[in-house]
Amino acid sequence: MPEKPDEQNPSGSRDVVQGTLEMLILKTLALEPMHGYGVTQRIEQISDGVFRVNPGSLLPALSRMERAGEVKSEWQTTENNRRAKYYQLTAKGRKALIRETEQWRRQIAAISRILEA
Amino acid sequence: MSWIGNLITGMKSLMQRDRVERELDEELESYVEASIADKQHAGMSAQQARRAALVEVGSRNSVKHQVWSSRWEGGFDGLLQDARFGMRSLLKSPGFTAVAVLSIALGIGGNTAIFTLIHQVFLLNLPVKDPGSLVTFDKSDGGGILGGVDLGSYGMFPWSFARKLQADPGPFQGIASYGSFAEKVSVLPPAGPGDNNPARAAILTPAAMVSGNYFSLLDAEPLLGRTIEPADDATPGSGAVVVLSHHLWQQMFSSDPGIVGKIITVNRTPFQVIGVMPEQFQGIKLETDSTGMWTTLSMQPVILQQPSFLTLDGPYFLHMFGRLTPQAAASKAGFAQAQEWLDTQVRMQTRANEGSSISAARQQEINRLTVPLISAQHGISSMRSRYGDSLGVLMAVVVLVLLIACANLANFLLARATTRRRETATRLALGSSRFRIVRQNLVETMLLALIGGGLGLVFAFAGTRSLIAFVTRGANYTALKSTPDTAVLLFTLAVSLLTGLLFGLAPAIYASRGGSSTALSSGARTAQADGGSSSRVWARLLVTAQIMLSLVLLVEAGVFLRSLRNLQHQDYGFERTHLLVADFNAKLAGYHPSQTNALHQQLIERLSALPGVQSVAIAAARPIQYGHWSSTVTIPGYKPAPKENMVSVLNRVSARYFETAGIQLVAGRSITPEDSATSPKVAVVNQTFANHFFPQGDAVGHTVAVDIDTVKGPWTIVGVARDTKSDDPHSTNPVRMTYLALEQIEPLNPVEPKAKGSDAQADTAKTQPEENQDRFATTILVRTTGDPANTITDLRRAVASVNPNLPLLGVESIRDEMSALLTNDELMSTLTGIFSVLALLLAAIGLYGVMSYNVVRRTNEIGIRFALGAPAPVVLWMILRESLLLLGVGMVIGAPLTFAATRAIRGQLFALGNIDPGTFAAAVAVIAAMTLFAAWLPARRATRVDPMVALRCD
Repeated sequence: MPEKPDEQNPSGSRDVVQGTLEMLILKTLALEPMHGYGVTQRIEQISDGVFRVNPGSLLPALSRMERAGEVKSEWQTTENNRRAKYYQLTAKGRKALIRETEQWRRQIAAISRILEA
Repeated sequence: MSWIGNLITGMKSLMQRDRVERELDEELESYVEASIADKQHAGMSAQQARRAALVEVGSRNSVKHQVWSSRWEGGFDGLLQDARFGMRSLLKSPGFTAVAVLSIALGIGGNTAIFTLIHQVFLLNLPVKDPGSLVTFDKSDGGGILGGVDLGSYGMFPWSFARKLQADPGPFQGIASYGSFAEKVSVLPPAGPGDNNPARAAILTPAAMVSGNYFSLLDAEPLLGRTIEPADDATPGSGAVVVLSHHLWQQMFSSDPGIVGKIITVNRTPFQVIGVMPEQFQGIKLETDSTGMWTTLSMQPVILQQPSFLTLDGPYFLHMFGRLTPQAAASKAGFAQAQEWLDTQVRMQTRANEGSSISAARQQEINRLTVPLISAQHGISSMRSRYGDSLGVLMAVVVLVLLIACANLANFLLARATTRRRETATRLALGSSRFRIVRQNLVETMLLALIGGGLGLVFAFAGTRSLIAFVTRGANYTALKSTPDTAVLLFTLAVSLLTGLLFGLAPAIYASRGGSSTALSSGARTAQADGGSSSRVWARLLVTAQIMLSLVLLVEAGVFLRSLRNLQHQDYGFERTHLLVADFNAKLAGYHPSQTNALHQQLIERLSALPGVQSVAIAAARPIQYGHWSSTVTIPGYKPAPKENMVSVLNRVSARYFETAGIQLVAGRSITPEDSATSPKVAVVNQTFANHFFPQGDAVGHTVAVDIDTVKGPWTIVGVARDTKSDDPHSTNPVRMTYLALEQIEPLNPVEPKAKGSDAQADTAKTQPEENQDRFATTILVRTTGDPANTITDLRRAVASVNPNLPLLGVESIRDEMSALLTNDELMSTLTGIFSVLALLLAAIGLYGVMSYNVVRRTNEIGIRFALGAPAPVVLWMILRESLLLLGVGMVIGAPLTFAATRAIRGQLFALGNIDPGTFAAAVAVIAAMTLFAAWLPARRATRVDPMVALRCD
């Protein structure tokens, strides 16, 4: 059975807010194609080290997203002259990013309203 | 990517596991290197950076596993892995696997075999278009020729009525009719070119007579040629055409594609073959002995070798069916309208038949006449009414057997789960999920169930074959098949999976529980004992259930056996040993009624001269057989009460019939050779007849007249014979019986004096009276001094010496005949017997397994007991006590169940009450013995435990 991207990430991603890993990956990849470690690094950098993604969560997530057609991958040479698998957003991935961002904003707004009430 | 793309990519990665692995490795490698480079860049030393990066990534295998299981093929791959693992662990314990597979196979095989029959007898639709809109007029499961009853009684109709409704089907799309029984006809294939051999082999095959619209109404298409059309059946006496069934076409005509148009000989009359039906078409009425050919009703005199029934006042010999309009088939109101119309027709016709003077009471009665419309979606099958209940009971029995087998396996698996606790705990500790463990256990049991199911199919095939052979009693051809079709295969698959779930789920869940750290500790002994307590409760429950179910099965088997014995040993009124019966058919050999007396005389003389033959007689019917010839009778001087039932069963018998059959006479004399064609007509009646009509005991000397023109009489009663069972051995109602002297039946039919003026031509044609077909008799009875089987060859030779062309059909001892009448009872008692022994065996294995396991588990405890001075009998009793408790509980729960089950099958039993204490006691004794034996062996082993060894080991 094809697995759908799940709301709940497998254990080990405790460092990222549950259900947001794929959105974060999509957002990261929206800037430019990147390899796995690049994604980790970028998320860590932009979040000022708040979020850490380990490969045990990242690679399964990427594999799932590739299956779902949201990203596609290609082997390329890195700046250090090594081979690495670069991931790139597809049209479907872009749509998914917009959708998930929308959803996330709505949820955040709702949560804030509840907290401020 | 759509799910199809996903599926294809998944398949690819399954096929190229190595490549996918390599890519993952490479990706991880590049990840680590990028991380190292990054960390060095941030100022770490090369060594530090490498170390930190490796820590970050963690176990590479774990990462790879997670990636792998994020895809569907990961789950699939896991299943395959589990299956491989399961296979290995099954092969590692071949003894367990063999017992498990065999018990599942027997359980599933039984279920499949019975289901194959149920499916064919009950569930298959007629292979025609839209079978759902076909309805029969009343149940059409009987068959025969009737007169003197209300129209539509027993689902029987005369030709004139069927013809009328065929022409005007009212709210139906059409109404067709067919002969209610398929009479066997003798068929000769066409003479080939240059084939001068006159002795081409004739075969006997059942021929069905159908109305011209029969095929078009069923919407059944022929395989070759055409079907019978209304034009063929238009005129009585014409339309000599036949449509062959597929099997007759194969058997007799070697599937000759050019058969259509050829002339074959049926009952010495040429018929043209116009078509062949496809294999699955058996007609609307399915018989155990399948119809060989269909011909027109207009040829009835040739097919039945009887005077024409195709007259305005002919007898009732047809079944009818109609096709509802789509509206009537879909709506209740439409259906009710069709029903109403049919009832109106029946009442109108009945009134017309009875003329002008109908009493008010009779009018009321006629207004209540109704012929219910019954769905013919699955066709009509005599097997359904004969074997339906039995098949239901058998299905219940095999389900019980399967449940017992399941309980056994569940028990074994529970025991194994307990011994595997350490392994399970280790796996849980190493990070396996409970789901994985449950799945792995389930996969293993599913494997067992599927292998068992596969083997069960083989058993079922063999079983169904012998069942069908048993039920059809060696008929030439039967539509029943033992090869499983899709529905049967699906059924078996479903049952196998269900079985696997049933016996596998609880142990699997149980196995995944309790991975407490104590299971891993070195003191696993005590931990095991603690964890085992819940499994022991389960095991006890299962064994109790097995004992209970075995009790039910054993009692039912016993009850069926008793019923069969009652049937076999009841008083039949005639002597069943040393009696040989043979069927012959002089009519098919070309004899005329005027010649029968001489032929019978000749046969009796020739056969009486055989060595070992005590006496010989000829009769129209055997002393006991299904179906009978009967009629109302008139007794001069006896005034019947209003609506009194005046029916008597009739038989036509030669001299010495009573001596040969071994029927004692209680008054008067029997029919003797002196009662010749020229002397006064004599008859013998049975006790029931005499007691009813002559309560003063003065039957002898009175006369009786039969309300059938051809054998009207009057007959002088010269003797009273003992009552016999002449029909169904199950029936306990005494039947009136009149034996007429065969030799004294008139050679010609009486000329009817009626119908003057209306049809002058027919009148002149009738001045020549027809020959009386009732002079024929078809049964030879031979009483032998020795084993009747020794006389069979002599008998055949002697009959052939009288006339080599005289077909001698079945020759068998009356014992074989009896067992044919008791087929169903023998079937039930044999099968329930086999299945209950099987159940008992399974239960014994289960109990033995549980007890042995208990003893092994308690070796330590037993060793301590011995060391503390417990004597051996105390230990023995300790082990036995547990099984006796289970036995007791099983019996107590089982007893009411047994009584309920016996009540449910009471209709199929003969001369037995609700409770049969003898059978019950015997079953209890057998199960108690089995329990004790199964528990005794492990208990004795317990007493041999050496305390030194027990305490030292583990």
